[in-house]
Amino acid sequence: MSKKKNSYSMMMVIVSVLIVFAIIKVIAPYVFMILLAKDHTMPTPSTLLLWYMILAILACLVYVSTSDLKWANFLSFILPAGDDKLKLLFQKMIVISIPLLVGWFVYSGTVPGTASPVELRIQHPTLLQEFEKLENPFAHADEATKRKCIEEGKHLYQQNCRPCHGSKADGNGPFANAFRLRPINFTDPGTIATVVENFAFWRIKEGGPGLPAVSTPWDSAMPAWKDVLTDTQIWKIIMGEYVTAGVQARQREEMEH
Amino acid sequence: MNSKKLNLKIAFTLFLAIFLVALAVTVNTGMAQKNAEEVITAEVAGDAEGTTGEAVEEESVPYVEDEYRNFFGIDGRLVVWIISQLHLMFAAFVLAVPLFVVIIEAIGARTNQIKFDNLAREFTKLLSTAFATTAALGGLLAFALYGLYPGFMRYMTGVFHPYMFVYALCFFGEVFFLYAYYYSWDLLKTGTGKWVHIFLGVMLNLFGTALMMLANSWATFMMAPAGIDMKTGAVLDRTAAFCNFLWMPVNIHRIIANVAFGGFVVGAYAAVKFMGAKTEEDKAHYDWMGYIGNFIGLAAFIPLPFAGYYLGREIYSASPVMGNIMMGGAFSWTFIVQAILIGMLFVGGNYYLWNGMGRIKGAERYTPYIKYINIVIFFCFAVWLTPHNLPLSGEERALIGEQYHPFSKFFGVMAAKNAVVNLLILATFFSFLLYRRANKGETMPFKSHGNGARITMIITVGLTVMYLLWYSAGLKGQDLNETIKPFINPLLTCIKIQIGALIAALILTFANRGKLAQTLLFVVTVSISVIYFWYYGFVVMEKANMILRFLSVTQVSIVISTLIVNTVIDVFLFKNAKEVGGIQWGKIPHRAQYALLLLCVAIVTLMGLMGFIRSGLRMNWHIYGFMQDKSAGAFTPSIAYMGWVVSLIVFLFLALVAVVFWLATLGDKTKKHA
Repeated sequence: MSKKKNSYSMMMVIVSVLIVFAIIKVIAPYVFMILLAKDHTMPTPSTLLLWYMILAILACLVYVSTSDLKWANFLSFILPAGDDKLKLLFQKMIVISIPLLVGWFVYSGTVPGTASPVELRIQHPTLLQEFEKLENPFAHADEATKRKCIEEGKHLYQQNCRPCHGSKADGNGPFANAFRLRPINFTDPGTIATVVENFAFWRIKEGGPGLPAVSTPWDSAMPAWKDVLTDTQIWKIIMGEYVTAGVQARQREEMEH
Repeated sequence: MNSKKLNLKIAFTLFLAIFLVALAVTVNTGMAQKNAEEVITAEVAGDAEGTTGEAVEEESVPYVEDEYRNFFGIDGRLVVWIISQLHLMFAAFVLAVPLFVVIIEAIGARTNQIKFDNLAREFTKLLSTAFATTAALGGLLAFALYGLYPGFMRYMTGVFHPYMFVYALCFFGEVFFLYAYYYSWDLLKTGTGKWVHIFLGVMLNLFGTALMMLANSWATFMMAPAGIDMKTGAVLDRTAAFCNFLWMPVNIHRIIANVAFGGFVVGAYAAVKFMGAKTEEDKAHYDWMGYIGNFIGLAAFIPLPFAGYYLGREIYSASPVMGNIMMGGAFSWTFIVQAILIGMLFVGGNYYLWNGMGRIKGAERYTPYIKYINIVIFFCFAVWLTPHNLPLSGEERALIGEQYHPFSKFFGVMAAKNAVVNLLILATFFSFLLYRRANKGETMPFKSHGNGARITMIITVGLTVMYLLWYSAGLKGQDLNETIKPFINPLLTCIKIQIGALIAALILTFANRGKLAQTLLFVVTVSISVIYFWYYGFVVMEKANMILRFLSVTQVSIVISTLIVNTVIDVFLFKNAKEVGGIQWGKIPHRAQYALLLLCVAIVTLMGLMGFIRSGLRMNWHIYGFMQDKSAGAFTPSIAYMGWVVSLIVFLFLALVAVVFWLATLGDKTKKHA
């Protein structure tokens, strides 16, 4: 009678989860540093790490329970090892690591620290009603006027916005390093390209102080420009800013039906 | 037996505890608002007293109609929210089940298989009791709306009153055809009578769909009003108000979502019956019923993201601000919850299929693929739920040094999400193909299926190719700025490649290489719609934002063409193929039944959540941009508050459904005992 072979699927699951952890926690920060030509690593945020690890564990559990045989094999690892010394070694490692892990979680959860709380942030705070129906006064102007406005807007942008947002609108102005949260990089297609011009108008005019309560606690250092610039100047800046950044504002679609 | 009773007691206690906590939280909030209202009213009354004196109390005050009322101290908005959502859920079930019941009955009539007829009848039995509950909740909703929001409802009635009579007429039609359909089952069970019976079912569906579309129009009018003067509210064009901009997108989305909802709910019913079944025969029946429920649910769920995308895009078109509020503003975090629920549905649906392969002899040839599909699905799930804006601590923000972490930058935007949702759909479809062929062995040559097969294949490929050509002609004719027009060209090239792949797949199928044809289509579609469009999505986001909407539709069109053609190839590929072994119905682990229950809970929660989002997008407007909601409840609820209310609705719905299903099966028990 042949000896029944022990299944190591539980160990495979543990190793798989550890590999995913290593990729997300250790390897990814260096990969992003090289790919994005940064001078520092890009650590994976703890929230994301937690979510991805939950998914990795869930994926493993789903896989090992897709058939009765796989599930039985997975659970069989906790049965007596018999003559299998390797299995016995792994079992001991698991038994030792569980209290160590619990201890580590308890310690890291209770040790006094000074970390700031994790904060949610809303990408686009709700646009106030008075800004919703606004329209760029130069939207229907002739091409020559638009070009003139863009040039004036570029000039106004360099005068007022460049120190933080940079001459190329890439968020690398001379003051940018002074902020803990760097000024927005407008060339990133996930920023001003995703909103209508009214939204940009509201943000420039009211700045950080005008943000509704729901948008905090990510307080923006953006000043309110309503006392410095006229509405016309703000619209021109918006036109110049989009061109400088090389992106387009979200367009309204024609309603066809 | 004792442990079963104990389990029931524990489950009931847990249910009761969660129900009470949810009720306490929601009612508390409602009461708090009422108190706030009372304070304001008292202050106003105090001011009034100061000017007019106590003599006012003595005089007969003329009747002034309230604009808002509350429900015995509970905020009116909360009451309407709960009742309307419950009504919608029951209505979704009642509208969806007849859609697939008629199809199942027709399959039974065509193939002369009594089991299909029995299944259709069992589903209809659930329908008749659920219908009465839907109607009762509908009446309650109407009373709640007219009683708690009289001012708003006065205006809505003024705009839509002719359609309200049509609604009542359709309701009578639905009642007539539902009961005629249910009670004539025995009378019309053979020959031409069967087809008359099926006709009654079709009529039931027509009236049901008309009812839904009428009510949808009122809800979408509130989001995108049309046909009225936006300053005075004068009705200029009643037809335009009815056929408003978001009406058709919501109709399409709701019909498909209802079918998915109905499928997963009956799947859960079958799972409960399976786990309680005492005989092998019952187990086999309910196992099969659960499989059909899951099949219907998944089949409808696969095109649902496309319909959802269409609706989302049209919301952006109706109001870019509302669109921003939805995807990037106050509702953006609810979409992360939505992503989790959708991920759960895909995982649960696939998990059920994989476990189901255990009862099919011959499936072991395909089980090695499961691990790769599993990896793909969870990878897609991870990308799908990655938010553009991550919750970060101050330290993390400082270390990252910029607004977006690369994970959120590359996974958190629509270009990535569209790519992975298409891959999720293709992976689930692949899982289903594996399940379908699990017990199939040697296949027959394609030519043995005759000219009918050839013509069907040519028509299928022809129609998909024509659709793609029509869409690319539309793309070419777009009136776009010269600077961004060149960005259309890669989309046209991709469509041409897909058309080439479809024609090649047709030729390969005719040459008896059906599996190669399917592989070719999968490879081409994944390369274009997932890998290339993921990359190209970022290019157009940066340089030609306008093109993104065309890119998404191109992506969807290519994926759908592959799903359709590969399904038809599969039908002929395995037609009359030798069976390796039969399906042992009833031999499925209980884990799979729990997956069916999870699918039901997930879809009910998803419907509750999406109902909140669709309605909440109006923010503090009754009718967006025209009539403001000035009641105390006109705030946008926090995610926690929304979570409690939606959970309460889910619990109430599941509890009501359990009671309704129990009532529906009471007759069976009596028959068995007799």
